[in-house]
Amino acid sequence: MEAPQNMIMKVRTMNKTKSRISVKNYVLIILEKMLQILVLLFVLFPIVWIILTAFKSSTDAYSTSLLFKPTLDNFRTIIAPPYSVGPLFRNSIIISFATVGIAIPLAVMASYVFSRYKFKGSNSLLVYILMTQFIPAVVIVMPFYMLFRNLGMLDTKAALITVNLSVALPYAIWLLKGFVDALPKEIEEAALIDGCTQLQMLRHVVFPLIAPGAITTAGFVFVGAWNEFLYAMILSRTTSSMTLTIGLMNTLGPRGVIWEYMSAVGLLVMIPVFLLSLTIRKHFVQGLTMGGVK
Amino acid sequence: MSELRPKAIKKYLILLPALIVIILTSTYPILYSFWLGFQRWMVWESPAPLGFVGFENFVRGFADPKFQEVVGTTALYTVISVSMSVGIGLGIAMLLQKSGKLNTVIKMFLIFPFAVSPALKGFTFKFMLNPSFGILDRSIKYIFPFLENVVWLNHPFWALFWLAMSEVWGWAPLVALMFLGALGSISPSIFEAAKLDGTNNFQLFIHITLPLLKPVILVVTLLRTIFSLKMFDQVVTMTGGGPGSSTQVINYFIYQTGFRFMDMGYAGALATTLVIVMTIIASIYVRTLNGKEA
Repeated sequence: MEAPQNMIMKVRTMNKTKSRISVKNYVLIILEKMLQILVLLFVLFPIVWIILTAFKSSTDAYSTSLLFKPTLDNFRTIIAPPYSVGPLFRNSIIISFATVGIAIPLAVMASYVFSRYKFKGSNSLLVYILMTQFIPAVVIVMPFYMLFRNLGMLDTKAALITVNLSVALPYAIWLLKGFVDALPKEIEEAALIDGCTQLQMLRHVVFPLIAPGAITTAGFVFVGAWNEFLYAMILSRTTSSMTLTIGLMNTLGPRGVIWEYMSAVGLLVMIPVFLLSLTIRKHFVQGLTMGGVK
Repeated sequence: MSELRPKAIKKYLILLPALIVIILTSTYPILYSFWLGFQRWMVWESPAPLGFVGFENFVRGFADPKFQEVVGTTALYTVISVSMSVGIGLGIAMLLQKSGKLNTVIKMFLIFPFAVSPALKGFTFKFMLNPSFGILDRSIKYIFPFLENVVWLNHPFWALFWLAMSEVWGWAPLVALMFLGALGSISPSIFEAAKLDGTNNFQLFIHITLPLLKPVILVVTLLRTIFSLKMFDQVVTMTGGGPGSSTQVINYFIYQTGFRFMDMGYAGALATTLVIVMTIIASIYVRTLNGKEA
């Protein structure tokens, strides 16, 4: 396992007595393994606890016991009114897919231009786009609340998609620019010489080549839109636009949160993003810092 | 750099759709908040702004003891959240540095906490900290019996601490992945040479690992600061700003000013101030990133 380190240790301590070394090593390895298990616990425990609670009956949910009879009652309850997570799940799917569907094509085109051409102000524009990422959601949502109220668009999925784009599009442009930067220019030059128009070239040459990058970016944008909470909390009212994360809030009854229902909704919130994050794992860290940490 | 040479207008046409969306979803809200900041507008008094008041709202912010308290809370929150996630992240990275089967499995799980919706993180920690059936509450009090009487979320400091921890739980594993990525690019021969020279592990960490990681630590710290200042969802689902106002961070205060107290002018002024602060930190971040590439 830890071959190089072990060898170095052995070289370093060769003069000392052999039995002392192995005991010391043994203790160290045990300690290290224990700490690693602790890390695993730290990372997974809250998730496991929510998953377990989702299958607990209302009496078991309020004990810390690990032994319980699993039940699907919580899921039956959250599907029925007043929780009706069915429509909420559907809204989340529609809003997240629409956000991805609008952001990715626009971002592919924009990132291509930013990657291939320098024009007056292109650098400042790029930095501005990066900066918009750091604006707090509260600042974005206030003006939009006024706007959508005046337009009669409160409580619509279109409103949520629009606001989601404020984060999704700049982020996608930056992430995709990294992928386009890595493409060799020669292929495009050849295509242009062969008489392609620029749009044809984008569609038939560039787009297929950056498809893996676009899929990764789409994954990130989807996770962001799926987990979004503040916009939906302020802009949606009924099941016509309410998302699944607001479904978590709905389990807050007059006597506090009903934890077993919250956990069941929570499980539904987690499943899609876990599946997605496993598929885009390779690019995860890079995507997060917009290429800053490699 | 040899540029491709299609007609100049085309590149702007390709860029245009993305720019329109960015202007609508980011630039418009920023400018609107800025404009709001100079208006008197209590939504319950009138459906439209009541007139220009100059810098009154901005001046009010500086004199408002409530706002000063909120700034202090946000600062403390940011310090706890950033230092804990960088510290724990570094610890996890050190533990998982060696290759091995267990480490590969743990690394795969490191991205999961981050993918959990922030709103759900807040609820999960609130659940686990419940004084009568919270598993985290029970475990901590089992190990440290002297904390028996603490009700975590009713205590001003602990509530803020756990609010930060709910964010640290998501970020620390990811920060660890960033550090591991950076460590992977450092030649192992440096460590081997130092070990042969008889350096112990602690000296190795202080004199070799830490200096090599310094640029990444800087980038991660800045990025974490920006995201800490954006944190909002967990305040709603975990503490509601309480007990009292002890966990009211700036974002939550702006939200309350605008949507609870309907004082749009003041909320706009506060939002503008926050955007200015964020822009300064973000430009330091961008400059650091550029500096690294050069």
